[in-house]
Amino acid sequence: MLVLERLRLDGKVAIVTGAGRGLGQQMALALAEAGADVVCAARTEKQIEATAEAIRAMGRRAIVVPTDVRDSSKCDALIQACLDEFGQIDIMLSNAGIGDARGMDREFWDVTDEDWRDTIDVNLSSAFYCARAASKPMIEQGKGGIIINVASGEGLRGSPNRFAYGAAKAGLVAFTKSLAVILQRYDIRANCIIPDYVVQQPDQNEEADAYVKARVGYFPMQRLGEAWELGPLAVYLASDASSYVTGQGFIIDGGGLAGGAAPVGFAPEVNG
Amino acid sequence: MTIPEWPNAKRSLDAYDLTGKRALVVGAATGAGRAIALALAEAGADLALCTVTADGDEVMALRKTAREARELGRTAIEKATDASSGQGAQVMVRQVTKELGPIDVLVNAPDFFLGKPATKVSDAEWAKVIGLNLSATFFTCRAVGREMLRKGTGDPSARLRAGKEQGTRLSGRIINIASVLGERGLTNAAAYCAAQGGILNLTRALAQEWAADGITVNAIALGWMEGSPALGDPMPEAIDPVRFIPMKRAGNADEVAPLAVYLASDASAYVTGQVLVIDGGLTVHP
Repeated sequence: MLVLERLRLDGKVAIVTGAGRGLGQQMALALAEAGADVVCAARTEKQIEATAEAIRAMGRRAIVVPTDVRDSSKCDALIQACLDEFGQIDIMLSNAGIGDARGMDREFWDVTDEDWRDTIDVNLSSAFYCARAASKPMIEQGKGGIIINVASGEGLRGSPNRFAYGAAKAGLVAFTKSLAVILQRYDIRANCIIPDYVVQQPDQNEEADAYVKARVGYFPMQRLGEAWELGPLAVYLASDASSYVTGQGFIIDGGGLAGGAAPVGFAPEVNG
Repeated sequence: MTIPEWPNAKRSLDAYDLTGKRALVVGAATGAGRAIALALAEAGADLALCTVTADGDEVMALRKTAREARELGRTAIEKATDASSGQGAQVMVRQVTKELGPIDVLVNAPDFFLGKPATKVSDAEWAKVIGLNLSATFFTCRAVGREMLRKGTGDPSARLRAGKEQGTRLSGRIINIASVLGERGLTNAAAYCAAQGGILNLTRALAQEWAADGITVNAIALGWMEGSPALGDPMPEAIDPVRFIPMKRAGNADEVAPLAVYLASDASAYVTGQVLVIDGGLTVHP
C-alpha cells in the first residue's frame, strides 16, 4: 500500500474531547479529513456544534456530546453515545484540559486542596476515565484500537505557578506508557502528543509574535506553533502508519525542550 | 460559531505530500534506509541515493533500491561514497546538488553494528563503529547544511545575538535514523551505544543551530528490527529480545517509513530536535 494511503482513516470512528476550540478542534478536523467519523465532546455545546458542522461539510458523520470530563459517569456516557450512534469506537483522543486552571495565579501556599484536585481531575483523571471506558468496547470489537493523550511541555519542566498543571501533564505521559503496556495484548496502541508553545486560535497570532520577540532566545524557530500543525501528527498516530509505535510521547515544540541549556541559544565561538 | 481559518494551514494528508522535493538518502541500500527512500518516492520526492561504505555489496543493493524508486516514476540517482570521510561526503553532496538540484530533505540511515565485550574492542573497530554511524551522520549533515544555509541568511547565532528578524524561511529537513541504544546501555555494544547516543545529541544540537533558518533536524530511534544484525542470526536464545517487547515481535522497515515521510514534509514544520521512538513499546516496558 502506498505510504500516504496508510495514513487514511476511512471507516474509523474517533472520539475527541476538548473538540470545541484550539488544538482539539484542529485535530478533530484533521482526523475527519483523513476519513474518520468523529464524536465531538466538550463542555460548551455551541463550540463543538461548529466543529461537527465543519466535519459534516467534508462529507463525514459527526455528533456532539456535551461532556464534563471531570465526571467519570459523563465519560462513560460519552463512549456509550458513540456506540449508540456509530456502533463502534476506534480512536480515543483525550485532549480536554485546562492550562490556566483554577488557583494557579495564587502563591504556592495559597493554592487550596480543591484547586489542586480540580486541576488534576480535568487534566489527568479525565484521560484515565476515557481510556478505561473506551478500551472495553475496543477489546470487545476485537480489531484493536488507538488511544492518544495530549500532554504538554509543561509536564517536562518546572513552572513557578502552573505546577499542578505540570504535575498532571507529567502524570499523563507516565500513564500513557502504562496504558501501552496494559493494552498491547489487545492490539490497542497508546501514545501521547506533547505540544508546547502552540497558539490556540489565529486571532492570537499577533500576541504570540510579541511574546516571541520579548523572549527571542527561548524559541529556536523564533515563532510559536499553530494549532493546525498538530493535525497531521494526530493522523499519523491514529493510523496504521504508526503500527510499531506505542507508549511514546511525541513533542511538537519548535525545538525548545531539546535546547534549553542556554537561553541565549548559542555557545560563544571558542577555538578548541 | 465559525471555525477559525489558519492562513498557512494545509489539509492533513496534503501536508504530507512531497511532490517537487528532492531527497538525499544515505544508507539507502537496505533496511530502514531503503524503505524510507521508496516511501519518499511514493510521496512524490525525487531521490539521490548514497552508500555509507562504498563496498561492493552495498553498491549493488543500492542500485536495486534506485531501480525500485524509478519504477515508481521518480528520478533516482546513485552515489557510491564512503560517508565516514568528511571530504567524501562533501564531494558527494556537491555532485548531487549539481545533478539533481538543491536538496530539501536529507535522511541518514547508516547502521553498522558491533557486538563485542568492551575489553576486546580494538582501536580500529571503535573507529569504524564511530566513523560509519556518528561521523558519517555528522559529515553529511554538515555538507547538506552548508548547501541549505547557502540559500538562506547566514550565521544563525549572529542573528540570535542581534535579536534580528529571520530572513527567507527555508524548509530544509534532516532526519537521522538511529537506535534506542542511543538512550539505553547494552552489554557487548559499548561502541555502538556511544555512536548512537552521539547521533541523538548531534540531532538536538543541529536543531538548535539551524532552527531559525527553517531547517528541522530530527532523529528516529529504532528498537529491534527484522533483519537487524544486532539480533544475531540465529538469535541466541538467552537474549530473545522479542520476549521483552510489548508487541512481541521485531519491527519491520516499512513501519519506519511513514514517520520519515511526516518528518520530511510540511506537516512537521514545528517539530525539531526530537528523538521519535519506533520500538513496539520496548523502552516503556516495566
